[in-house]
Amino acid sequence: MPTISFLFKDFQQLLGKRMPVEEFENILLLYAKAEVESYDKRTDEIAVKLDDTNLPYLWCPEGLARLFKGILGQQKGMPKLKVSNSRYKILVEDSVRNVRPYITAFVAKGKRIDDYTLKQLVQMQEKFCESYGRRRQKVSIGMYAYKKITFPVHYKAVDPASARFVPLDFNKEMNLNQILQQHPKGQQYSWILKGFSAYPLLLDDKGEALSFPPIINSSSTGRLEIGDNELLFEATGTDEESVNLAASIFAQNLADRGFEIFSATIAYKGRNVITPLLKPEKVKITPEMVEQGTGLKLNNPQLKQLLERAGYDFVGSYASVPHYRADIMHPVDVIEDVAIAYGYDKIADEPLSSYTIGMPVDSAPAINLLRKTIIGMGFQEIFSHILTDKNSLITGVGAVELENFMSETYSAVRNSVLPQLLDVLAKNKHVDYPQKIFEEGIVAAREGSRISEWHSVAFITAHSKADFTEMKQYVTALLAAAAAKFEILPAEHPAFIKGRAGSIVVNKRSVGIIGEISPSVLSKWGIETPAAALEINLNLLLSL
Amino acid sequence: MIAGKTAEMAASLHRLERAVLPHLSKLSSVKDIVAAARMQEVEVLRALQWLQNKGLAKLTEKIEEIIRLGENGKNYVKLLLPEARFLNSIANKPQTLAVIKKAANLSDEEIGASIGALMRVKAIEPVAAAAEKTFKITESGRQIAKAGLRAQRFLSGRNFPVGINDLSDEEKNIVAELKKRKDVIEEEVVKKRTAAITELGKEVLKKASTATETVDRLTPEMLVTGKWKSAEFRSYNLTAAAPRVFFGKPQPYREFLEEIREKFVSMGFEEMTGPIVESEFWNMDALFMPQFHSARDIHDAYYIKEPKYATDLPRQLVKKVKTAHENGFGTGSKGWRYEFSEEKTSRLLMRSQTTACSSRKLASEDLKIPGKYFAIGRCFRYDVIDVKHLADFNQVEGIVLEEGVNLRHMIGLLKLFAREFCNTDKVKVVPSYFPFTEPSAALYAKHPELGWMELAGAGIFRPEMVKPLIGKQVPVIAWGIGIDRIAMFKLGLNDIRELFSHDLNFLRSSKVV
Repeated sequence: MPTISFLFKDFQQLLGKRMPVEEFENILLLYAKAEVESYDKRTDEIAVKLDDTNLPYLWCPEGLARLFKGILGQQKGMPKLKVSNSRYKILVEDSVRNVRPYITAFVAKGKRIDDYTLKQLVQMQEKFCESYGRRRQKVSIGMYAYKKITFPVHYKAVDPASARFVPLDFNKEMNLNQILQQHPKGQQYSWILKGFSAYPLLLDDKGEALSFPPIINSSSTGRLEIGDNELLFEATGTDEESVNLAASIFAQNLADRGFEIFSATIAYKGRNVITPLLKPEKVKITPEMVEQGTGLKLNNPQLKQLLERAGYDFVGSYASVPHYRADIMHPVDVIEDVAIAYGYDKIADEPLSSYTIGMPVDSAPAINLLRKTIIGMGFQEIFSHILTDKNSLITGVGAVELENFMSETYSAVRNSVLPQLLDVLAKNKHVDYPQKIFEEGIVAAREGSRISEWHSVAFITAHSKADFTEMKQYVTALLAAAAAKFEILPAEHPAFIKGRAGSIVVNKRSVGIIGEISPSVLSKWGIETPAAALEINLNLLLSL
Repeated sequence: MIAGKTAEMAASLHRLERAVLPHLSKLSSVKDIVAAARMQEVEVLRALQWLQNKGLAKLTEKIEEIIRLGENGKNYVKLLLPEARFLNSIANKPQTLAVIKKAANLSDEEIGASIGALMRVKAIEPVAAAAEKTFKITESGRQIAKAGLRAQRFLSGRNFPVGINDLSDEEKNIVAELKKRKDVIEEEVVKKRTAAITELGKEVLKKASTATETVDRLTPEMLVTGKWKSAEFRSYNLTAAAPRVFFGKPQPYREFLEEIREKFVSMGFEEMTGPIVESEFWNMDALFMPQFHSARDIHDAYYIKEPKYATDLPRQLVKKVKTAHENGFGTGSKGWRYEFSEEKTSRLLMRSQTTACSSRKLASEDLKIPGKYFAIGRCFRYDVIDVKHLADFNQVEGIVLEEGVNLRHMIGLLKLFAREFCNTDKVKVVPSYFPFTEPSAALYAKHPELGWMELAGAGIFRPEMVKPLIGKQVPVIAWGIGIDRIAMFKLGLNDIRELFSHDLNFLRSSKVV
C-alpha cells in the first residue's frame, strides 16, 4: 500500500479551492480508499496512505485533486487532455523484443520545474515503478532534459560490454556490465536483466546515451534540473498496456500543472503508435446491472450523474473509462465506482434472509473434549507458533522447511508438538514445579514428495519424581475418555530413555509415543528437572 | 488485654506454637529451642513466626561472623598439629630428622614449617655435633610441651563453630595465624536467631497450660471410636496464606478462538478448513489474484523448500482459472491479460490467508447455496516480528452465498459483526480494496473502550473468481475480521507476541473468563 506526501497547499491549488484538512480526510476515506497518515501544520506536509494497489493515478496530489473535483461536482465526467501533435519520434529496434519490448514517450513544455515539482515527479516515478511497475521489471520511467536531446531517439538492445556512458551519480564512463556490478542501482536491479545477453539502451540521434533502462540514466542528458521548462518522458517495460498507462498518468499530471503535452510517435517494426494513447475504453452499464450488484435503484439520469462524479463520461448506456485508469476489467469495477460516488454512508443496509444451520468442523467437538479432559488432569494448556526452528525438529520424521525464512526461529513447520513443550520447560526453570503442560495443534511432515498434516496432542510432566508410571496413568485416563483400548509396546525414540519408551498402540496401529525424556535431550535444552511425556496423533486416534 | 481474648488465643494455638511457647521463658537461642523442643528447625521457625505475628513472641535475627574447622583443622584436632607432633617425638631424647619425620608422620613441607615455628619460640635447637641433622628439646620446649602449644590448645579446646565475637584477643591472634595455613579455619557469615516471649505471650502461655488439649485434625479413627464427641478442635487462623497450587487451565487465546467459533456456529455459519501448506493455486490464483501481485513475492509469503510443487491440483479447474486470469473466462471481463504459469500455480507455500479455505469451499462438491461459511485458521507472512506482527497468526474469515445478495446485504452483515464483536451500533462503512472483491468495503466500529478501530473487511467476490470455481455466477459476500486486536484487548495484552506466550507464570495467572 503506497504512502505519499505532498504539500496540502499544493493540493488545494490543484483543486482550485480551499478545504479544511478534516474535510479532506473525510472525503479521502469515503471516496478514495485512502487515509491521512499525518499532517504537519508547520510545514503543511501531508502524508496519505492509499489502499488500492491497482489505481496508481491516485498516488499523487494531481490525481487526488482530480478525484475530488468529480466528487465535489467541480468537474463533470472525464477531464480533457489536450495533446499537441509533434514530430518527435522513438525508433524501436527489433533487438529489444526479448528483453524489454515496449516504450512510450511524450514531451512536456511551458512551465518552470521548481524544486517541489521535481520532488513530486520523482516520488510518483518511484511509487509507480516500485509498486505498480513491480520493482521496475514491468515498467520503469525516465525523464530527461529535452534541450540536450537530438531527435529521433533510438531504443535498442546492445552488447553490454561495448556500450559505455557516464551514469548518474558517477563521474567516469562505464560499460553496462560495470554499471550492473558497481552502481548501487545496478546492484539493486540487475536481477531484471539476468539471463539476457543484450541490454536495453536509449540513445539520441547523435549517439549520446540517454539511459540504460530499467537501471540508470546518463549523467549528461538524463538529469532534470530545477529551472528546466521542457522535459522528455519515457517509460519502458514488458507490458505495453502498463507503459501506456504510465505515460497517460504523467501526461495528465503535467497538464494539470499547466504544461503543454506533445505526443511522440513510437515506431515499432511494422507499426507506429502515438503516445500518450488517449482512446478511452467503453463499458456497458445499465441501471439493472447497478441494482443487481449494489441494491441501488437508479434511473438513467441518476446513473449518468453518479458516473460523471466518478470521472466517467456516459453516453447511451456506455461509460468511457478515463485514459489514466487501467483497473477496469469488468462492469463490476464501474459499478463499484457508482456505489462509491453514491456514498457508502448513504446506502441503506439490508439483513440476510436465508436460513442456514451452523456447525463446527467435524474434528472440533472431539478435540475440545480431549482438551477438557487433559485440563481436568491438571495440565496447563500451551498455544504455540506452528513455525519453529528447523534445528529443534524431531529427527526421523520428514521435515517441511521454508525456503525463504527470515530467521532460524521460524524456519520450518513443526513435525511434533513435544519440542515446543520442552521450550516451555527450558524457559521456566525458576517457576514453581510440578510443571504439567500440554498443547494440541497442527503438525506437518514430508514423506518424499508428499506433505501430510495432522492434529497432534502432546503433554509433559516435569518435577523431581516425574516418571513413566505417571505418564501411563494419564494416557490410561485419556484413552478411557476417548473410549479406545490400547497397549504400550516397547519402542525406541530419540527423545526418550532407552527401555523407558513405548509406542501407544490402538487397534494394532501405533498412534503415539510415551516415555521418560532422555537426559541428553533435557541437557540439550538446559532443563534440570526430570520429565516424562507423550504425544498422540489425533487423526489416527479419532480417525479424523 | 481482656482475659477472654487470651483464652481464645490460647485455644487457637497451633500444635507447633503450643510446643514452642513454653521453651521461650527459659531459652532464647533458636538453636537451643530446636534441641529442647525436639523439633525440626523449620517447624520452630514457622511457629515463632506465627507467634510473632500474634504478638506473643519477638523473633530477632542477628548477622554474625563465625569460624569453623576446615579439613586440616579437623585432622589437627585428631592427630595434633605437625609442630606438636614434632615436639612430642623429641620429648625424651634428641632425634635425627629422618626419625622425627617417621615418628611424627610428617611431610617434608611440614618438617620445614614445624622447625621454623618451634625455633621461633625457642622450643627446640639443633644438636651441633651430630653427623646427621638432629634436634633436641629445650627447657622452654618442655614447658610448652607440658602445657600444650597455644594453637593446639585453641583447636582442641574450643567447640566449633564459634562466633568471632566470643573470642578473646589472644584467640583472635591465634586465629589470624591459623588462617595463614591451608584449610585449618573457615569463616562464615550466619544469621543467628533468638526469640523472647512477650508479656502477652506469658499470659497466653498460662492459659494454654490450663486449657484442655485441643485437636488439630479430625481422623477416621476418631469418627469410628466416637472420640470426636469429647474433642475440642483448635480454631484456625482463616486469614493465613495457603500454599499455591497450579490447576489445569485452558490457554486464554486458544479459548478465545473457541468462543469465536461458537459465536459463528450460533449465527448459522458452517466451519471450513484447509491445509496450512497450500498451493499458490488455492491461496491466490483461485482468488483471481494475478501472479504478478506483490503479495506473491518471496518478501511477503513463505515458500516451501521441498517439495516445491503440489501434485494434486484439479487440472480442469486450473485451466478454467488460467483462462479467467488471461482473458476473463467469458464473464464479460478482460481478465488480467498476462500469460498464466501453471508451474507457478502449483508452487507450495505456507497459507498466507484463510481465503484459501473459501476458494476450496467454493470449488467443493458439497457447497450449499444459500450457504454461510467461516474459517478460523493459522496464516503465515514474511514479516519482521515485533509488538504488532507475527510470522504465524490466526485469521477469521468467511463467505455468504445467496442468490440476490448485494452490497446492501454486505453492509448489513458488517453492521451485525460490529454488534457481535464490538457491542456497538456506531460504525463507518467505507470503500476498500482487495484484488478478489468488487465492490469492497472496510468496517470501522467504535469499540466502547478502544475507540474507533478497523474491525473487518468485506467484498463481493469478482465474477472472474466465482464462475470458474462454482461453474455459474452466484453473488458471494466475503469477509474477514481483525480478531487479534479484540483478543489482545480482551486478554489485556499490548504485545501481540504474548498471544503465544511460553511464560508459565503469565499463563498460570492469566484470566480465562
